[in-house]
Amino acid sequence: MQTLDVISVNIWQIVISLLNLLLMFLILKHFLFKPVKKMMDKRREELENQYKAAEDAESIAQKDRELWEIKLAHADAEADEIRSQAVTDAKYRSGKIIAEAKDKAGSIMRQAEVNAELEMQKAQAGIKDEIVSVSTALTEKMLGREINTDDHRGLIESFIGDLGDDYD
Amino acid sequence: MKTSKAFKALDIFYIVMMILPFAAGIVLKVLTSPASDDINITGALIYFTIHMPIQDLPITEAQVNSLLVVISVTFICLYLTHGLSVKAHLKRQVAAEWLIESASKLVNGSMGEYFNGFIPFISAILVLSALSSLSSLLGLYAPTSDINVVAGWAILVFILITYYRFKCGPLHYMKSFTEPIALMTPMNIISEIATPISMSFRHYGNILSGSVISVLIAAALQGLSSKILGWLPGFLGQFPFLRIGLPAILSLYFDVFSGVLQAYIFAMLTMSYVSSAFAADEYQMRRLRKEQKKLQKQVLANK
Repeated sequence: MQTLDVISVNIWQIVISLLNLLLMFLILKHFLFKPVKKMMDKRREELENQYKAAEDAESIAQKDRELWEIKLAHADAEADEIRSQAVTDAKYRSGKIIAEAKDKAGSIMRQAEVNAELEMQKAQAGIKDEIVSVSTALTEKMLGREINTDDHRGLIESFIGDLGDDYD
Repeated sequence: MKTSKAFKALDIFYIVMMILPFAAGIVLKVLTSPASDDINITGALIYFTIHMPIQDLPITEAQVNSLLVVISVTFICLYLTHGLSVKAHLKRQVAAEWLIESASKLVNGSMGEYFNGFIPFISAILVLSALSSLSSLLGLYAPTSDINVVAGWAILVFILITYYRFKCGPLHYMKSFTEPIALMTPMNIISEIATPISMSFRHYGNILSGSVISVLIAAALQGLSSKILGWLPGFLGQFPFLRIGLPAILSLYFDVFSGVLQAYIFAMLTMSYVSSAFAADEYQMRRLRKEQKKLQKQVLANK
């Protein structure tokens, strides 16, 4: 079999080799670069989507947190208000109760005083009556005769009345 | 991740088809190469000749082997992209992505973002050139040691260079030869024409010289072996013991290193020539001017 010379230029061989390189380029482009690039782009897209989803979730969480913080701050203020309200309420009520109690106690005391006065007067009147009747009986016995009770009674009463008045 | 039987079968088919071209090439070589002990440094074997206008087309080893490389690379691509998924659970997908990323980095680094379309082309040059040169490791005739093969690539690169020079208009193309001074015009024209020639001869010469040196050293070692160890009886006297070792180490340089390096150099030169041929600023200005003219025309038409 024949061989070529070491250097032998052939136009057609050059053209074939040129087309070979072009063919190689097209093969690499279509069978290697295109599918792999497509897959890589797809992956990048997916990754970006995931990042976006994560960011969305984070922003939602952040918003929720802010909302709850505001609510919490409000709750503190509300609690303070309620407490102060309760304290003032309680103060007011206790004052009222004490005042009422004082009032009641005062009225009871007064009633008692009045009652005592009345009792005393009654007692004084009773004692006076007793003394009068006792002294009348005594004088009757002593004098041995009936006396005009009404006259004497008047006398003794005025006498005791003077005495009582002196003691008062 | 479990793979189905059909998936595995297709995988095996791809792997077989990757290796099969080279195996066929080796078989063809064994069947056709003449057995001779002489040193003969020749070009590729001619299988048959097709009659064509201008010049007959001999179908040689170089032609066949470069086509075998193309077929093998096609199936490598199909294997790498078989079973792609978003999660990248296959190792080959990681490898494919790494290859693409590094090719993109290489091209973007030396050409810029504008030439992103060149990434597959530069990869094609790298793969075709490197595998063609490395096919000599299998005992095949390296297609890159045939001037015609490399000249075809270089002419394609030259066409690209001229295309990008022409992008700013024929006037700019003419003017680019008179730079930096008008006196340099003939020099510039010569250097322009010399570009594909120098590219093809650099590549072809490196690979061919490597194989020539390998053959010469092997022959020399055989001669030395028969001189020194010729007194040994029978078969032992004829066996070239000295050829063991040194040619392997030299082959590591001339076939592996030189082949890969020349592929890299060819790709780098392509990138630098094409990107320097394209006057990006001038092109932008031109486009702006054209748009302005268009706008002016529209305004005039509206009036």
